[in-house]
Amino acid sequence: MQATQRPMVGLEDKFIKAHQLAASLIDLAMSRGVDKNPLMRGTRIFYQDIKAGSSQLSADQVLRLVANAKSQVGGYDCSFQLGRRLFPGNYGAISNALLNSRNMQDALRLLHVFMLHICPFMQGYSYRDAKQYHLVINDTLGCGEQWQFIVETYFTALVAATKLLLGRRLPFHFDFPFTRPRYIQEYETNLGFRLNFSQPILRIRFDLEWLKAPFNQQSQSLKWHAVQQLKQQHFPYQGFVAAVRDNLRYKRNQSLQETAALFAMSPSTFKRKLQQHGVRFQQLQDELGLQQAIYLLQIKRLNNEDSASLMEFSDIPNFRRAVKRWTGFTPQQLRLD
Amino acid sequence: MNFSLLARHHRLISLVAACLSLSISLSFGLGELKSWQQIEWLDVLGEGSVALLSLVWIMAILASRPPGKVTTALVVGLSCFLFSALLDWFDEFVHYQAAAEGLSVIESVPAAFGMFIMSYALYQWHQEQLALNRQLQRREVGWREHQQIDFITQLYRVDYMRGQIDMQLRSKDGSDFSIVMLDIDNFDGFNRRFGTGEGDRLLREMSELILMNLRNTDLACRYAGDRFILLLPNTDLSQAQELAQQIKTAIGHLAFKPAQQGTAVYQTLSFAAEMARVNDGVETIISRVNQQLNAAKSL
Repeated sequence: MQATQRPMVGLEDKFIKAHQLAASLIDLAMSRGVDKNPLMRGTRIFYQDIKAGSSQLSADQVLRLVANAKSQVGGYDCSFQLGRRLFPGNYGAISNALLNSRNMQDALRLLHVFMLHICPFMQGYSYRDAKQYHLVINDTLGCGEQWQFIVETYFTALVAATKLLLGRRLPFHFDFPFTRPRYIQEYETNLGFRLNFSQPILRIRFDLEWLKAPFNQQSQSLKWHAVQQLKQQHFPYQGFVAAVRDNLRYKRNQSLQETAALFAMSPSTFKRKLQQHGVRFQQLQDELGLQQAIYLLQIKRLNNEDSASLMEFSDIPNFRRAVKRWTGFTPQQLRLD
Repeated sequence: MNFSLLARHHRLISLVAACLSLSISLSFGLGELKSWQQIEWLDVLGEGSVALLSLVWIMAILASRPPGKVTTALVVGLSCFLFSALLDWFDEFVHYQAAAEGLSVIESVPAAFGMFIMSYALYQWHQEQLALNRQLQRREVGWREHQQIDFITQLYRVDYMRGQIDMQLRSKDGSDFSIVMLDIDNFDGFNRRFGTGEGDRLLREMSELILMNLRNTDLACRYAGDRFILLLPNTDLSQAQELAQQIKTAIGHLAFKPAQQGTAVYQTLSFAAEMARVNDGVETIISRVNQQLNAAKSL
């Protein structure tokens, strides 16, 4: 399959509605006494357009706004307060679909298809072990230095939204690749106390029984109506980095040349485009290797021989070295975890 | 920098402008310009910076203080000083005729006079600061870090609290203090119903009410979101619980009127209290009280 057959967006494409995340962030910053001119500086966003409610922004513009807000709003709670304001918010059909969804499983299925409508920066894939549902989260557009802010914002939004839909707090476990921050109180108050820092991957986990716990406002017909509205919008399907990652997921050793050809680009254009999104090809391959190794060793509990052969390593020592390099742990340690 | 206070000082600004124009017209009106060779550039630089910086100081005072007796005294004193400094500086550019010789003789008098007024103003400022410190009691204890003040509630953030708990733990008899954590019930629901602007206002009013219920030695800070943390020195657990219960009752009776509707909305509060133990660390005591609060709210 040609990867480019699906509509795909990059950092510079204008597809994010300005009256959603950007407007909430501007409101929040201004309510904290930040002046709107320095806040908008260098973002090429105009306040008038946001009020008009029709303009669309690129992810790059939103990330610049985030950088300005981060430096100008005092305190550490900007991302968390923003997250609390996101849902249901100004998202229209996708919010309605989620509000009327049946349970967590249903909501996650909707999010999987319509993720770009509400959270264009992230892509997730899921698997289960005997007890828990795992959601591994990746950066779709290359958020760079703003990634932690984006993660804090959307994870807070997830916790607040499930609390609204379930009527109680769902006990999420979070694994962060970041080091434990000094403002841990914000994480604990907004995300709960099941937090692990300095982990090899960014992951959300919860016990399987929560998948089917009924939501408060479920309505099949209202949900379908919203889904029909969503389908009528001509919306991009996937971010560029996400598309490359999906393409590589089961062919980790595919070369850059082969991948570029699938995206109908010359290798140098492809490389440049990746660079524009703040990632390198090798880095994506390593990241996928890391995630696959964790899945095989930690979830499937496979031995080194089977894992190595599934990951197309010719010998075990090579596999052990690669795992150690990616995760900082030996396969043995990962299995024990 | 924020210059919004400047607009409220038009009288004092006219005074400064008068100083400037009077000194210019006196010097250049009565004197004759020197030739380039006669000017001592090192003196020009030295005396010029004295004059310029005193003008900057006046502006800094006007930009940071509301009008009032102390502000007026400070600016009048500094203006006198500025006047002398300017005359001194302009001296470098002009000769005086015999009739105006007196000017250079008296030029230092306003400076001395200004210094007296400034000294008086600083004494008043000291009194004012003591009054402000009393106003800030229960918001801060013997330590000031304005970068750590939370914008919404005007309380200190939790960093400040961590420092204060640490000091309590280090002090000789400091182990008999208690920590209370307060959390508003269903604050998200309030925000959704009335908007985050009203939510911020509710937090601000609640923090005032919490302060009113504290003793002079206690300290209240904002923890995160809708959580507040209290430090109660020389307080055992039952006293701490009693005080927290009083705050809970007071908040329960707060008839908050959201902007869009005339009828009052009432809030409830959950709390947990913990007393310091031997060998406690800052994080251990905070996490203990947090866990207890979560258990109480069954999160």
